[in-house]
Amino acid sequence: MCWHSVHTRRIPSDGRHGRCARFLIWLALVVTTPAHALRIFACEPEWAALARVLVPHATLFVATHAGQDPHHIEARPALIAHLRLTDIAVCTGASLESGWLPALQERAGNPRARDVFFAADHVPLIDPQPGTIGTPWSGDVHPEGNPHLHADPRNLLLVVRALADRLARERPAEDAAIRARLGAFESRWQQRIAQWERRAAPLRGKRVAAQHATFGYLWRWLGIEQLADLEPRPGMPPTPGHLQRLLTVLRGTPPAAIVVSSYQDPRPGRWLAQQLGGTVPLLILPSTVGTEAAEAELADWFEGLLQTLLEASVR
Amino acid sequence: MARHHALIPRLASFAALLAGALAAAPAGAQQAKSWQFGAVLDVAHTTRALELGGRDQGLQLGHSDLTASGPLGALATARLTAVFATHDGRLEKEIEEAWLETTRLPAGFVARAGRFASQIGYLNAQHPHADDFVERPLLYRAFFGGHWNDDGMRLNWTAPTPFFLQLGVEAFRGKRLVEETAESTGNPGIATVVAKFGGDIGASHSWLVGVSHIRNRREATTETFDGAHGHKHDHDHDHHHHHGAQFSGHKTWMIDATWKWAPGGNNRDQQVRAGFEAARITDLNRYATSRDRHEAQSIWAVWRFRPDWETGLRTDWLRVRIPHGDHFHSGRLRELSAMLAWKPNHMQSLRLQLTRQYDAVGFSRPASRSVQVQYVLAFGAHPAHPF
Repeated sequence: MCWHSVHTRRIPSDGRHGRCARFLIWLALVVTTPAHALRIFACEPEWAALARVLVPHATLFVATHAGQDPHHIEARPALIAHLRLTDIAVCTGASLESGWLPALQERAGNPRARDVFFAADHVPLIDPQPGTIGTPWSGDVHPEGNPHLHADPRNLLLVVRALADRLARERPAEDAAIRARLGAFESRWQQRIAQWERRAAPLRGKRVAAQHATFGYLWRWLGIEQLADLEPRPGMPPTPGHLQRLLTVLRGTPPAAIVVSSYQDPRPGRWLAQQLGGTVPLLILPSTVGTEAAEAELADWFEGLLQTLLEASVR
Repeated sequence: MARHHALIPRLASFAALLAGALAAAPAGAQQAKSWQFGAVLDVAHTTRALELGGRDQGLQLGHSDLTASGPLGALATARLTAVFATHDGRLEKEIEEAWLETTRLPAGFVARAGRFASQIGYLNAQHPHADDFVERPLLYRAFFGGHWNDDGMRLNWTAPTPFFLQLGVEAFRGKRLVEETAESTGNPGIATVVAKFGGDIGASHSWLVGVSHIRNRREATTETFDGAHGHKHDHDHDHHHHHGAQFSGHKTWMIDATWKWAPGGNNRDQQVRAGFEAARITDLNRYATSRDRHEAQSIWAVWRFRPDWETGLRTDWLRVRIPHGDHFHSGRLRELSAMLAWKPNHMQSLRLQLTRQYDAVGFSRPASRSVQVQYVLAFGAHPAHPF
């Protein structure tokens, strides 16, 4: 038995006791040692990228990617295992993850994963519907407001400041370094925002038809109007009847583009574009950044969104 | 058995400690607002009631509930669920869940106390209205009364490993797992031990495997009930609905395996899920020999082929030894179910299911064909779905 060799202080002479002792030491290290690189569980890749800006040496795990609908994630065993090991969880909030994050937390048994940093707690949300109770006919209502807040680069500044406070509390020894990285990022990001806003000026006043409120914050930032939603109700897949009604509306006021996001089925949008005679382009935009967790990805994502929208609007 | 004697008082003293800690914890007023309330309505129409089934012929209110859940102090969460269902035209009410669970225990531990569904197998802990089929597999209907919840305690540990590994023990009063006891032995109890492993394979596949063991100190009656083995039975009497298990024994082993696939991990538009469960019950009662055992298996597969449409197949096997005084009779039953479900969103689903029961021995009322239509409506908040 393992325990005997430890308690009787016998020198582990044979191989079995040696392995046993090594296992116990490993177990003790895993369970008790806090002296590891900060482990961060990011529900969405945009938060992993922001965390990387502040703590470049952290071990990051990204739970979802731009090809997945963040409302509909399976509470997979692999996600539970990663949440079990994390020091801090960074998520969107506003009920975006309410269908899966609580199931992960319950099974992970990690008290640190209970105090989730929610980005939505630090940003004023658009379209709040206080007091709304979900019914079978209302679709996926978020009473707190639209949770897809990362599509406005100005929101990322609000989130990264709050995240810096939280990470500094988590790692007091790195407080100064985190603040320094925050300051540098803020000035770089503000410059980028100013640049993007200048370039995006021609987009102001344009109208689009889009599926879901995924890019609600982007439209508001750029002064674009979302004429119509391909979903009959929030979160419900487009129905033939609804698309037919949309077609009538869009024939009257043709949009500059039809927009769906990378995780959505492009067929309803493609059908609408065809019915409108091929004059309206279908844009399939990535719903978020890549999973490499790097600042460059955040910038590339906004850059790509702007580029695609500008190209579509001059056609 | 001696180990179970020791386990129950140990868990009880732990629960007392927990209750003390909760009383001492600051119950912040701002936390109360995150309590959430929800309701589920489950209505089904059945052309022919299934053998060992949970649904009456005709229109029936299925497992419908009112639920409240939220934080209790700073260290625990709690849930209260009241269930309503009709059986034989009568409305039955029950408190199905009333538990509190720790949120702050260190080192991967989570403890729960109160009334709740055991975590054995794959399906048992899930609310029946979230199932993919109108009726639970034969395995659950025959051995666990469909959905086994009980008064007890649980301690789970999740390993700090890169793959998912969870070990759990539960201790229950055990009033539900035998239909009626042969004799009321003092201090009845059931203990379970469960191990679960799981992970991902690439971006599109994920899996979960579980092994469960149940020790039941209660002995089932040595005489059978209606439904099974009806050769000297009066079928005209008022059909008594069973909440408890129809077939039981002292030792149960279960294994379950679940696999899910979605292209690129995006399960919104397309998903395939499939699973296998098997149970073997031995040490049936004082007259049983080692050859007397109950066995059941279930294999199922569901395909979400459009965001709002799913179809699935399930096949079930059941082989039992029906107690009859000092001896047993053999019983067996096969069941095949096919379903088509429309789920416009996660708050409602409409399901059509065809079920065929065949190869019946020792069961007097197998349904050679049954058509079931089920409509499930959800209001407000409801618990996040486990894998």
